[in-house]
Amino acid sequence: MIEVSGLRKTYGDFAAVVDSDFSVDDGEGFGIVGPNGAGKTTTLKVIAGLVEPTDGEVTVAGFDASDPEMRRHLGFLPEDSPLYEEMTARSYLRFFADLYDVPREVADERIEAALDRLELDHRERRLGDVSKGMKRKVAIARSLVNDPDVLVYDEPASGLDPVTTNSVLAFTRELRETGKTVVFSAHNLYHVESVCDRVVVMNEGRIVARGSVDGIRERHGETTYRVFTDVEPTATPPLDDLDATPEEVGDRYRTAVPSMDAVAAVREAAADAGGEVVDIRSREPSLEDVFLDIVGRPMPGRYTGDGLDDGEVDGQEPDGPENDRSTDGAERETAATATEATE
Amino acid sequence: MTDRLRRLGRRLAVAGRRVLRVAKWESARASGGVDRRTLAAGVALLLVAGGVVGVGVATGVAGLDVDQDVYRVGVDAGSPYAEAIEEEASLRPVPAETASLGDSADAVVVTVVRPGSVDDGAIDPPDVDSVVVRATDTRKGEAAAASVREAVEAHNERLLRAEPNRTAAFPVTVTLRYVGRTTGFDDGATLGGSDGSRTGDPGGGSASDGDDGGTAADGGTEGDGTETSGSGSDADSAGDSGGADSGDGSSGDASTDGESGGGSAPDSGAGGTADPGSGGGKTGSDGEGGFAIPSIGGGAFGADTTGSPASITPPFPFTSLLLAFAFLVPMNFLIQAYGSSILDERTNRRGEPLLVTPLAPAEIVAGKTLPYAAAAAVVTTLIALVIGGGPLSVVAVAPVAATFLGATFVGAMFARSFKELTFVTVGVSVLLTTYAFVPAIFTNVTPVALVSPLTLVVFDLQGEAVSAGQVLFSTAPMAVGATLLFGLGLGVYREEDMFSQKPVTRKFLDALAVRLSAVRTGGGPGGVGGALFDRERLRALGSVAFLTACTIPFVFVAELLAVAVLFALPVTVSIPVLLVTIAFIEEVAKSVALYAGFERGVFERSDRVALAVGVASGTGFFLAEKATAVVQAVGLTELFLGRAAFADVAGLSGLPPIALVALFFAPLVLHVTATSAASLGARRGRTAYALTLTLATLGHAAYNVGVVSLG
Repeated sequence: MIEVSGLRKTYGDFAAVVDSDFSVDDGEGFGIVGPNGAGKTTTLKVIAGLVEPTDGEVTVAGFDASDPEMRRHLGFLPEDSPLYEEMTARSYLRFFADLYDVPREVADERIEAALDRLELDHRERRLGDVSKGMKRKVAIARSLVNDPDVLVYDEPASGLDPVTTNSVLAFTRELRETGKTVVFSAHNLYHVESVCDRVVVMNEGRIVARGSVDGIRERHGETTYRVFTDVEPTATPPLDDLDATPEEVGDRYRTAVPSMDAVAAVREAAADAGGEVVDIRSREPSLEDVFLDIVGRPMPGRYTGDGLDDGEVDGQEPDGPENDRSTDGAERETAATATEATE
Repeated sequence: MTDRLRRLGRRLAVAGRRVLRVAKWESARASGGVDRRTLAAGVALLLVAGGVVGVGVATGVAGLDVDQDVYRVGVDAGSPYAEAIEEEASLRPVPAETASLGDSADAVVVTVVRPGSVDDGAIDPPDVDSVVVRATDTRKGEAAAASVREAVEAHNERLLRAEPNRTAAFPVTVTLRYVGRTTGFDDGATLGGSDGSRTGDPGGGSASDGDDGGTAADGGTEGDGTETSGSGSDADSAGDSGGADSGDGSSGDASTDGESGGGSAPDSGAGGTADPGSGGGKTGSDGEGGFAIPSIGGGAFGADTTGSPASITPPFPFTSLLLAFAFLVPMNFLIQAYGSSILDERTNRRGEPLLVTPLAPAEIVAGKTLPYAAAAAVVTTLIALVIGGGPLSVVAVAPVAATFLGATFVGAMFARSFKELTFVTVGVSVLLTTYAFVPAIFTNVTPVALVSPLTLVVFDLQGEAVSAGQVLFSTAPMAVGATLLFGLGLGVYREEDMFSQKPVTRKFLDALAVRLSAVRTGGGPGGVGGALFDRERLRALGSVAFLTACTIPFVFVAELLAVAVLFALPVTVSIPVLLVTIAFIEEVAKSVALYAGFERGVFERSDRVALAVGVASGTGFFLAEKATAVVQAVGLTELFLGRAAFADVAGLSGLPPIALVALFFAPLVLHVTATSAASLGARRGRTAYALTLTLATLGHAAYNVGVVSLG
């Protein structure tokens, strides 16, 4: 459905995208992740025909990306949702349907269906008076008025509260399930993971990793388990081998280990000391972890929080909103009981 | 062929439909953008303004002048001047016997009758020995006396006009013929030349003589009755004005005659019965042929060709000019709304989704512009209907409106904020209003006035016929210029430029560079080292030539503006400034696109490429320049300054054919050489470009001096 070959885009001396190659199959969910300035947005804009590539070829649905006819098959959602604030949601969407030559009856049907699904109220209220989440939903609805085959979404959940984020991601998933090809960019793996089968990780204009989300996690990150005990576990050979040093956290002790076998070792050590495991939490590798592993340095603009307690990292997120914290793998911790851990 | 035409037709139909859709939504948006309170305030303001005007008109019609009964004047009911005073709204007659100066009257008309001549109680004109107006020694008293004097003059004028025997009322017939300023370098102190001093135009002479006659008659009439200011001074002033008219601003015969004739009106009048053609020369309007100066004193001027010299107004189309200005006023409001709408698309990337639709940028822009262009058309037509203009006025104003919109579009595409847009719209407004209005002031004086389409409006309001060449000359540069402005703005109507915060200069270069094709050394597409007539190579260089040719309307407008601005200055100052200015304008026009090409990497930075694009640009300019031959059609090159600006080998009919051919192609050599030099600098960077541009300008100016000397 989408073929990107030898894509290069430069602005003067600045190379925004360098030698980018990938393809997206029909009906596939494809993610582009990376920090700010990685080249995600430029790549998406080239696919959408908004930006002319300096070099390389991009085809979408069999059309060259610069072909205006291609745009009939495309729904594009830019990173921001600036709308014509003096118009109502309904009139705004009708306007765009009109530009795509969609008959009025069909357009009305599509618009109402999309707005119903997105649970968008106040359809006759001026867009300048509705919330940011509502605007985002209107922008998503706009990308669907022409019933496109390909959806190119740039940070669809950026800047939204957790509830709206989940709603938007769920809707995007549904769109994929209806057979639409979805290409979308995000700052964190969780957003991409929930919609996409494959991803590419970009850094400084180049693709630095590609594959499935799980595959990338496996290759470039590790799931860690933090085992909380009511006593300091006795130093045992398995723990010494893992270099797992218990830390005192309040009235408990926390030991970070890389596997469930190691969890069992901690459990035994705690029992030796006359105590028990009171809590286990798993921590999946975040984009930051993956990025650090691939590039060998932290993501630009990100603070890894060295010296801080786990779960309190990411003090600075220039474009990663607060809701990311609740959903990003870096902070998502799964509480597990001792029983679950032993199972 | 038929299929191709059919496809083209279908494509145009689709494009038209899309444009209308955008226009429809733009109208809805624009109307939705104005909240009800603002709308109500605007309507209220219009109503108040309309009410004020309406009341003003109504009071004028009803005779409810605001200056009614300002002065009380004591006058006998039987006085021959009682009627004159009663007819003047500002004067309130009070019985002379009860009038007391400074108390119940500001002025008193005292009629001195010959002893024993009013036995019957009525004062007949033959009974009057003299009339004296006495006024209080205050400002109000002086003003009252002046008003009485004017009332009597007006009264006399009315009586004369009502006289069935025209010969008796106006014993001397004066025919004024105004001569266009078409003289050369050596015949005047100003750029247009001065008719009066050197040419001693017979038409002017005859008019001034005739004026004297008129003055005599008029002065005699006035002098009969009043002694307040003296008939001589009245006659003088009348004679002066008449002379000034006839001499077209000169200090020639007319004034002199008028002055001398003031005191002895009958003699002067007798001697002034000259036929306009008796001097043996041809008048300007008869002899020049190219530019028909309208007959002065038409209805629009508020004076007739028949009457006393005092009633003859100078050739300044005050009323028509003011009415013509009315066309420009709505444009200023229109461009505010239009500029805001365009910039609004760029603010916060609001227009980005539009760029992802199947619509072409040109369709989007056309759709967004259409409502404002339509509004301009409607308003222009309404104004034309109200002020009495015809289709010519609408045709003349259309390119002005288009240029207002085009310039605003470019400005809004280049501006980075609404603050910058404010400067842009104010700049557009001031520049275009100046360009349109100032030359129109000289409507009846010089062909330079035709620079402005507003001059056509003035002609239209005066009921003057204009030729197709004049219409073309006035409107074409602005119409083409407006089209090119839209083209320039469209060059940056793309994601990369629309939403970026580049400085205006960089966006300008981007807009130019986007119209160029790559030129580089070596063979292959766009290479200048391959075959001579390689298609790609010619196409690439052709884009350079075409882009430069497109600057011609702007060059033309800029040069016309320079001519108009420098028109009133002495030749010794204006000519050198003009020659250098024009050279600079043309050199910038030819080379700025080349600089953009090098700066944006479209052209390879090599001397070979620089020379190639320099030659292409110079050739493109030369060819386009030849298209400006339209200036010949309106006689502008007969002006010395016009010749300096636009003529190249005009007027060299005495030279052999080879020399003429050589001179015809001399500008090509000039343009190619100068532009190549500037191009060599442009490929090296900004400083080198500035240096070579200066050199090219100086060389070009020297060439211009040569042309002027030859001409």
